Amino acid sequence: MGEIKRLDFKLLEELLEGVEKPGRYINKEIGTKSKDPLLQESIKGMVFMALVFPDIYEVGMSNLGLQILYDIVNRNKDFSVERVFSPWVDFEEKLRASRVKIFSLENRIFLDCFDLIGFSVQHEMLYTNVLNILDLGGMDIHSGQRGDDLPLVAAGGSAVVNPQPLSKFMDFFVIGDGEEVIIDILKKVKAYKKNKKSKSWVLKELSRLDGVYVPRFYKFYYYRDGLIESIEPGEKVKKALVRKLDKFDVVTDPIIPNIKVVHNRFIVEIMRGCWRSCRFCQAGVIYRPVRKREVGPLIEQSVSGIKNTGYDEISFLSLSASDYGEIERLVEGVTGALRPGKISISMPSLRLNSFKLKFLQLIQSGRKTGLTFAPEAGTQKMRDIINKNINENEMLDCIRMAFSRGWEKVKLYFMIGLPFENDRDIRGIVELIEKIINIARSEIPSRKLGRLKINVSINAFCPKPFTPFQWVGIESPESLKRKFNYILSNSPKRFVKISWSDPERSQIECALSKGSELVCDVVEDAWKNGARFDNWSDFFDFGIWKGAFKNSGVDINLFTTREFPVDEILPWDVIDIRVKKSSLLKEYEKSKKYIQQNDKV
Amino acid sequence: MIRFKFYKRNELKYLSHLDIVGIITRALNRAGLNLAYSQGYNPRPRIIFSNPTPLGVESLAEYGDAYIEDDIREEDFKNRVNMKLRKEIQVVEARKAAGKIDSLMSQIDLVLYGFTLDTGSSGKTRKEELYREIVSSIKESDFSGSIFDIRGAVSEGASNIIFLKLFGYAKILKEKNNTIFKFNNFYNFLKALSGEEGIGLSDIKKEELFVIRGDSLKTPVEII
Repeated sequence: MGEIKRLDFKLLEELLEGVEKPGRYINKEIGTKSKDPLLQESIKGMVFMALVFPDIYEVGMSNLGLQILYDIVNRNKDFSVERVFSPWVDFEEKLRASRVKIFSLENRIFLDCFDLIGFSVQHEMLYTNVLNILDLGGMDIHSGQRGDDLPLVAAGGSAVVNPQPLSKFMDFFVIGDGEEVIIDILKKVKAYKKNKKSKSWVLKELSRLDGVYVPRFYKFYYYRDGLIESIEPGEKVKKALVRKLDKFDVVTDPIIPNIKVVHNRFIVEIMRGCWRSCRFCQAGVIYRPVRKREVGPLIEQSVSGIKNTGYDEISFLSLSASDYGEIERLVEGVTGALRPGKISISMPSLRLNSFKLKFLQLIQSGRKTGLTFAPEAGTQKMRDIINKNINENEMLDCIRMAFSRGWEKVKLYFMIGLPFENDRDIRGIVELIEKIINIARSEIPSRKLGRLKINVSINAFCPKPFTPFQWVGIESPESLKRKFNYILSNSPKRFVKISWSDPERSQIECALSKGSELVCDVVEDAWKNGARFDNWSDFFDFGIWKGAFKNSGVDINLFTTREFPVDEILPWDVIDIRVKKSSLLKEYEKSKKYIQQNDKV
Repeated sequence: MIRFKFYKRNELKYLSHLDIVGIITRALNRAGLNLAYSQGYNPRPRIIFSNPTPLGVESLAEYGDAYIEDDIREEDFKNRVNMKLRKEIQVVEARKAAGKIDSLMSQIDLVLYGFTLDTGSSGKTRKEELYREIVSSIKESDFSGSIFDIRGAVSEGASNIIFLKLFGYAKILKEKNNTIFKFNNFYNFLKALSGEEGIGLSDIKKEELFVIRGDSLKTPVEII
């Protein structure tokens, strides 16, 4: 908030000596738009913001939300935003050893010199990275300990729809769509800076905005067992909502990373929200209502984005691309305007059937990448319970057609530990794999059969806030391991590769998703004991987390295996996600009723 | 086909060869140049680059051969591409080639590296003595078989600087009985050597690539 200090390039060069992928820490990409504070006539009326993505550069730069907010803020003459990512462990070591604070990429401004720091948190397992970055910025991690001379610190993104586990560290949270509220926030911060007001003044002002949750204005009262007795005040914070996506054009001149990132392509959001209502899916609820972009402008802006960036691949992003009504027209419009055969299109959420397969063949311009299916469960009963409307026969027909047309690679996603699941459902997963191999044997010529690859990914179901299954407890690691071992030992060995998520990590993910503010101390303790990059399996250390719960005196089962009674006050009840709790409950009841009528557990 | 020469400097010296390939390819796309594509299962744009420059080393002599479907003037190519690149990477020269040309990698015989050595002393005799010592240590080292020539210049007056120019072999030449110059190994050697003498090492650059033609050295652009 005081003087803007920056890291000298010579010093950066010394720090980069011997560091893995130094391209992560330099700037100079095409498409950066931050304003250099040294080149401004006066910075008094300006707000400088750091947009922090608490994962490495390659992951952060593949995130569309980051590019959208970056663009919106930097278009405004009074505001400038610069990017900060988590340093990889080798660079963190260098920074700490040389006592150099973490800095932004564009103008290498030290983090504590910004007016506002906004974290974009896309995954609960990145909470420790958030604390680490604050600490690397030379700041106290606790909101209450940071004085008026230090930046305001906020967090947004899908992993803070339940803000409680980070509530001690943040001055405020942003819940919902960021496009509009970010400018409203920056305007208030501008007034705060200009009129030299106090932090409590600006937080009071900010709390009037839809989507802004300020933890210090809420008080939680607890029973002795750690459950919430009441929350004051009772008023909820309403999710920020952008009613029309078309109000903001597609970012057609995004930052183009210099180094290879996770997604090296031009990304366009075609639709936000999803009609499908799968009962385990958090995105399906928190991004409601469904909003789509108009196909005409979408084609135009997609084409201009490809030309501006020089990418040879475009990705149409949505939670369910097949539900975008004019998907064929969109694809034809974009490919038709560009050189034939030189652009490939990817659609991460395309629900495949025989019809869509022909379509896929067309858009991949002859290349046959793997086909992905997400049946999620092995039996129709289970798919009905989770409301995953995928028909097994339709899926198998599509796979049959794919094999006969030369595809050789299939990827399948399943979850285990779903509510009301029994051993028959687990066996169903094995049987489905067997069925696919039998189809392959009949469709793929035997000389080519050796190339068949079936990759099966198995994840432990983790109940999430604001879903119909938010009350459900996660299954114990022991039970999950038994089920996984059953699948592993009973599935065909040839052609099949099975991967699965660590069930202990899923317990921690669950506790961080559903935790109350009691979990803040756990996150802090885990971070102090070295937890970093917990979303990376090489780094996740269950021992640290188990210790952290013990040291903080918090029973992990309170937020994991325990089923929440439906009348319990939930930590995320302070947020109004614009979907009624009663309708979530109704969905939950439906799945229970299904069991009573169709199956004996 | 257009052969072009470009540099990568300052921050962008921290990018790998593959990163540079991506940056140049996208810049050509953005410039609206229609790159020809390779045939086959997974068609790729046809641009071929010269030997990778080590990460962290500035280069004034990166070369690329781009196959473009439309006819374009050399100056236009340079200007249009440079508009789409940052100032840390810029094309300095472009020349069209008619007919079939051997690949860049197979043509290049020598790589010229430049080093700046800070001796900490401005005495002319001392500087010259240090220069002779360093050159003779290099000539006696395992690297001698991979070095075509070393030249140097001792700065005049109050400066402490020695410039060292080193021509390393980029490939095995039958008549020379040489080995290939390995930059990273040599750099570690030179760092240790100069460290012993209390000399600072800076401003390391790849300066030019050469093809041996009879008694003279030609740049890759000169031979097409």
